[in-house]
Amino acid sequence: MNPIDDDSLQAYVDGALDAAEAARVEAALAQDEALARRVRQLQALNAQLRAAFDPVLDEPVPARLSALLQPPSAPEGTVLPFRARGTEASRHRHVLRRRWLPGAALAASLALLAAGLWWWQSGNVLMRTQGGQQFAAGALAHALDRELASAPDTQSPVAIGLSFRSKDGQICRSFTVRTPPARAGLACHTAAGWELPVFGAAEQSAGGELRQAASELPPAVQAAIDARLRGNIFDAQQERAARAAGWR
Amino acid sequence: MHSSDAVREGLIPLLPRLRRLARALAGQAADADDLVQVVLERALARAAQWRPDAPLDKWVFAIARNAWRDEMRTRGRAQHLFAPEESGAAVADGSDARHAQQLELAQALAMLPPDHREVVALVLVEGLSYDAAAALLEVPVGTVTSRLARARAALQAHLGNDA
Repeated sequence: MNPIDDDSLQAYVDGALDAAEAARVEAALAQDEALARRVRQLQALNAQLRAAFDPVLDEPVPARLSALLQPPSAPEGTVLPFRARGTEASRHRHVLRRRWLPGAALAASLALLAAGLWWWQSGNVLMRTQGGQQFAAGALAHALDRELASAPDTQSPVAIGLSFRSKDGQICRSFTVRTPPARAGLACHTAAGWELPVFGAAEQSAGGELRQAASELPPAVQAAIDARLRGNIFDAQQERAARAAGWR
Repeated sequence: MHSSDAVREGLIPLLPRLRRLARALAGQAADADDLVQVVLERALARAAQWRPDAPLDKWVFAIARNAWRDEMRTRGRAQHLFAPEESGAAVADGSDARHAQQLELAQALAMLPPDHREVVALVLVEGLSYDAAAALLEVPVGTVTSRLARARAALQAHLGNDA
């Protein structure tokens, strides 16, 4: 009988042996403590790798990635039928749903340019400061209170992106200001109004080819979402219900 | 159904696994998701090349591996590829002890040569068979197993698991 070499041990640990070969290795392991210890080391390393990377499977998929897989002609306001796809779909329930598409957003922002310029010149108060915190004001506060991403108001200077309940239990909504200068941010509803943990210029991130097709959300906003997101992005029904409940 | 629709819809349930593979290849979470974005764009652009009788996961994993290699070539000219001290961001938070262990693992992975790192990612993290990994990498099975053995030895040496 051939001795058990390291390749066989590795294949045994990786489940790559047929039943007869596996039985031969197991018989040898029962006899040879050094071999058994070697197998335990290999198994421990495999387990360590799984422990390090398997949690990624349960992370919410960033919106900019799932947005790439939306049908190009999805009608506005429909919730895409991810959930209707059986067990595989329910496992990935938190795949984010993107409700307005970059092309539509571009068209809308071009159409809005004139209106936006008027609005921009007529007063640009979108933010107030209270107790050292930034809060939404004016048209931004109004849009956050009233608008639904599932039923976008193309006349509004503000486009609502994703709504979700944060780890702190607040409802947060990402938004893009469609009038120049383009800005984007995240607003979370508090007793004092829509607090703005992130609000800044929505510039294309510099250079990198990997980012060329990134969603309009600046990395800072995306990071703020990723840091707060606990469960699902609201679908149209949840968004409506949240509005009806005063975003509490 | 048009092939691009089939690919697009088929990729949705694969996203978590694709992100896991990318994390194992690229290290840092942000780099990994940038890689996934490139992979999705390439997969959609090449949807016509996918044969419906071929497993979509292996097809897209091959795209991921090639995109990662391309990205490394591009970056390698400009800067060091992986700063091991930064690679701790690669792994999920856990308890402090687990976190420290995972940090060490991420550093050990970052030091592997690409040939070794990709077999670890494909076989040990994604769980492909040796045959499937060999087909994807277009190398003989014996090459996969020998790279895997050397990668394991390097990881264990780095992690001090030789006891």
